[in-house]
Amino acid sequence: MRVWDLPTRVFHWLLVAAVFAALGTELFAPPWWLDWHVAAGGVVAGLLLFRLVWAAFGSEYSRLDSFLFRPQQTIGYLRDLLRLRPAHYVGHNPAGAAMIFALVAVLTALVGTGLAAQGGQEKQGPFAGITSFALGSGARSLHSFLAYALMAMVAAHVAGVLADRRLHGSGLIRAMVTGWKRVPAQLPVAAVRFSEIHAATITLAVLSASVTIALILLSRLPPLGVPRMITDRAWQSECGSCHRTFHPSLLPRASWAALMAGLSDHFGEDASVPPPAATEIGNFLQTYAAEAWDTKAAHGLSKVSADDPLRVTAAPYWIRRHRRIDPATFAGPAVKLRSNCNACHGDADSGRFDNQAIAIPDNPATGVNE
Amino acid sequence: MKGVLAIALSVLALGTAAAAANPARDAILAALAAEAKGADPGFAAFSAPRGQTFFMANHTGGKPDTPSCSTCHTRDPTQEGQTRAAKSIAPMAVSRTPDRFTDAEKVAKWFARNCNSVLGRECTAVEKGDFITYLAGK
Repeated sequence: MRVWDLPTRVFHWLLVAAVFAALGTELFAPPWWLDWHVAAGGVVAGLLLFRLVWAAFGSEYSRLDSFLFRPQQTIGYLRDLLRLRPAHYVGHNPAGAAMIFALVAVLTALVGTGLAAQGGQEKQGPFAGITSFALGSGARSLHSFLAYALMAMVAAHVAGVLADRRLHGSGLIRAMVTGWKRVPAQLPVAAVRFSEIHAATITLAVLSASVTIALILLSRLPPLGVPRMITDRAWQSECGSCHRTFHPSLLPRASWAALMAGLSDHFGEDASVPPPAATEIGNFLQTYAAEAWDTKAAHGLSKVSADDPLRVTAAPYWIRRHRRIDPATFAGPAVKLRSNCNACHGDADSGRFDNQAIAIPDNPATGVNE
Repeated sequence: MKGVLAIALSVLALGTAAAAANPARDAILAALAAEAKGADPGFAAFSAPRGQTFFMANHTGGKPDTPSCSTCHTRDPTQEGQTRAAKSIAPMAVSRTPDRFTDAEKVAKWFARNCNSVLGRECTAVEKGDFITYLAGK
């Protein structure tokens, strides 16, 4: 009997693809693939939106009310399942339905926490203007937890399908491909409602347009906690004459103050700056030190090394984030020094350090880009 | 005719500038010479060979990472140097970087920093004058 309509089947397999794409781009791809992860998440969000509409306007077994069960029904079904004598259902059985709701809830939460993490931590995407770093970090932790929970649920979902294969042999996998499911002849079948394509299309169009417009408007807000920095000319010329200037957000106020007080022995060199310029630079650095920013670099680097509090590359966060870079890559002609942020971070001068702006030169020892 | 004369004159002017003479640099050297004479009445003139020796020598008393001028400026002043932070430094040779030693404030600032880094003290007027004379001729 024909159970799953084409849109539901396409939805199902696209969702499978998008979820695994999102998982793969996070677990196995380098940080600069972030856009692909976000894109996969966007596809998941779009599919969820579609499914919501299709739950109202799809054909019989895609409709929400066709797989709404009372808790007693679900418990009863699970009890029968444990006795290996579960009842037959044409559409979703109560356990399957519960799993669908759980999956949709977790996927929705994944989209939400992903957007919050992107906005708060990366200061990117539609929520950058309204999400603090702290909120983004919390969302990020929840996002990882939910992703592992989702994997467990996917495993349970597949286990359920395999259990059905043994107990009923209704061919669920093939049903999700062809739409045809084997159903016992004696099973009573309800009056079947057909899908309402026009209503679905219009609703989906209106919904997705509203969501898109809302997201576009939101994403036009300036990122939260990213001040508009007025570059100081003395800072540019004095500090910039020996090294590329380091963004003020890369050290906390106390470190900048100590650094300015110790310029006569600045990392092993006398870098004294004449008093008027020194005052100007000192003020500039205090104004835009790490404390003034809500970015990931500022937060990470505000905790300095106890032994070497003036050295950005000695901060625990810096070391943690660069632990997988081969020392030969740092020593190579394209980078030369760990402190040469711009060699790999195309946006180092802005203090953003976006994942997408990372381009690590080939490792001169192995010729391999890591 | 006038145009040709103007071009000829400017080529001549450029040639002369490249050869060395620059009023600002001459003034800096003159001030250093006066200071040297004040410290030692027997002072006669700055010397390019002495400047070269000073430039190439390994000094003591400074910071361990920078024993010599050539640590950063390389042993060939017509080449680009490199700071310890890996930023390139325009060649010190005046023939390659014509505006070297023409801004008294800048000259004072860099001698103050780098003499302390390399020698651990201020440079004398003779050392500074020899240094400039050597690089003005390179």
